[in-house]
Amino acid sequence: MSGVKLTNVQKSFGAVDVIKGVSLEVPKGEFGVFVGPSGCGKSTLLRMIAGLEDTSGGKIEIGGRDVTNVEPAKRGVAMVFQSYALYPHLSVAENMGFSLRLARAPRAEREEKVREAARILQLSDHLDKKPSALSGGQRQRVAIGRAIVREPDVFLFDEPLSNLDAELRVQMRLELTRLHRQIGATMIYVTHDQIEAMTLADDIFVLKGGHVMQSGRPLTLYDDPDNRFVAGFIGSPSMNFIEGVVSHRDETGITVRGEEGELRVALQGNKPGEGTKVMLGVRPEHLEPVETGGLPVTVEVAEELGGNSYLHTRSATGADLVFERRGSRESLEGQTLNLGAQPENVFAFTPDGMRLR
Amino acid sequence: MTRQTRFENAALTCITVLAGLIWIFPLYWAFVTSLRTESRVVSDQAGLLPDEVNTSSYVDALFNTSLMDWYINSIGTSVIITVVVLLTGMMCAYALSQMEFPGRKALYLIVLASFMVPAQALVVPQFVLMNDLGLINRWGGIILPQLVVPVVIIVYKQFFDAVPKEMKEAVVLDGGGDYTLLFKVFLPLNWGITTALGIITFIMSWNAFLWPFLVVTTEDMMTIPVGITQVNDSFGVAYARIMSVALLAAAPVVIAYLIFQKRVTEAVMISSGVKG
Repeated sequence: MSGVKLTNVQKSFGAVDVIKGVSLEVPKGEFGVFVGPSGCGKSTLLRMIAGLEDTSGGKIEIGGRDVTNVEPAKRGVAMVFQSYALYPHLSVAENMGFSLRLARAPRAEREEKVREAARILQLSDHLDKKPSALSGGQRQRVAIGRAIVREPDVFLFDEPLSNLDAELRVQMRLELTRLHRQIGATMIYVTHDQIEAMTLADDIFVLKGGHVMQSGRPLTLYDDPDNRFVAGFIGSPSMNFIEGVVSHRDETGITVRGEEGELRVALQGNKPGEGTKVMLGVRPEHLEPVETGGLPVTVEVAEELGGNSYLHTRSATGADLVFERRGSRESLEGQTLNLGAQPENVFAFTPDGMRLR
Repeated sequence: MTRQTRFENAALTCITVLAGLIWIFPLYWAFVTSLRTESRVVSDQAGLLPDEVNTSSYVDALFNTSLMDWYINSIGTSVIITVVVLLTGMMCAYALSQMEFPGRKALYLIVLASFMVPAQALVVPQFVLMNDLGLINRWGGIILPQLVVPVVIIVYKQFFDAVPKEMKEAVVLDGGGDYTLLFKVFLPLNWGITTALGIITFIMSWNAFLWPFLVVTTEDMMTIPVGITQVNDSFGVAYARIMSVALLAAAPVVIAYLIFQKRVTEAVMISSGVKG
């Protein structure tokens, strides 16, 4: 198995730059996830690694070998598509063994590898069926099996679970994690679903507008985002953002006052001067009702999830804030509360979205 | 069912039955005529109902004409034309649908435009061309002009366009090229359309009259529709024999139609744009 390294990779479609100099590395055996909103270039980047899109600039290496101009079949990659791309006229076994048949592998070897992949994916009872006779989850497993049979250096997944219903998606997510542990291959996975990214990834690469906004371990991105975009993109429900002006600063941090109220932020490094505009970010689970101060809000809707609930509130100025409550089922709808947060749980961003630490 | 609906249904049934009778009458008349003696055919006594079973015209057609040669010629040319038309049509459609090359759009427009030119308009230039190539009274002369069937390319292209892009990319990643994609994925995926187009091309070629009539003058190279004209020449106006040869000429196509009825209907619908 091999790692994947991109150095200043670029892609343009005519005058439109889609990938604007991306450099990243997914180490050997790791599970890397490209995540970002629609049109951020994540699928294009994956297709460039697969060789299905030409590279306008930069270098792509797989296992230390420069594959930038190598044809797709010789890159040592296998790809699982969102639409499965199974051959409907072939049986499950024939689908899985198709690449080996093209490579003129001996029949015995072909059958052995197909059987082994089917065993791993619990498809042994379905080998003679046509894809149309399978459920969505089984079809996706066949698509994964087709990749496994090729024994690639790198597995590429292009939003493979998007066509499945919510329950099956959760199940397949677990199966993918198990599969990754079982075969230990390098995997790169594209999704717009940040929950999939958080649960599957060893490393997440958050993309926006053809740039990597931040990469790192899922919890690092969650706990310590570099910018407002990553802070807002990672986490569900999203982080709350409040505009304000620095009203006070001291050695431990700053106090920010906005139209909604006042919050304290713990900062280690350079602190913006009083009167500077900043954007505050607080995750729903870090907001809590306080006796005095904080942000006065009215609870509009309570989403009860059993173990916890999300309370959607509105401030006097019309700003929407969500906070999470655990352990209490008392209905707070229509009530007015003051919301506060511990200073170390409040993030501050410059007006252009960069994090203040 | 309301009274009005019942009346409408009955009226529609009557119109359909009437149309069917009008359509089938020439076939019925040909069959009745073919079973009569020549003298009976032209006599005043010949009515609409069958009144004689005389197979002599069939015996004449089978043993005193070159009918068996014409059968073989028709089968040979139709099979070759069908196979070559399907093969070149699907390859051309594949290129137009899946490959990037300069002038692709212009080429497709030319194919579309050629679909709109009636075959009769091409007869003279094609005859001059075949004459210049020395292909008059040659198999090549009969077959070559019939190999251009734009509708096959257009229909195949429509179907190839509908195959998801990921299918092609999966083949590329599996190590396959264009031939793998065409013959191992696209063709099996569109097997139904290939069968349908094959049947319709075969029938068109089998029934082709004008071109083979112009390009062939020797009797041993004639196809069945052209051969029928020779029956007329050899026996004078021999209606019973002409009808029996015409019915024997149509027999293979009718049998093929009865076997592949569903596919033929599908083919006609596809090529006329009713279904795609």
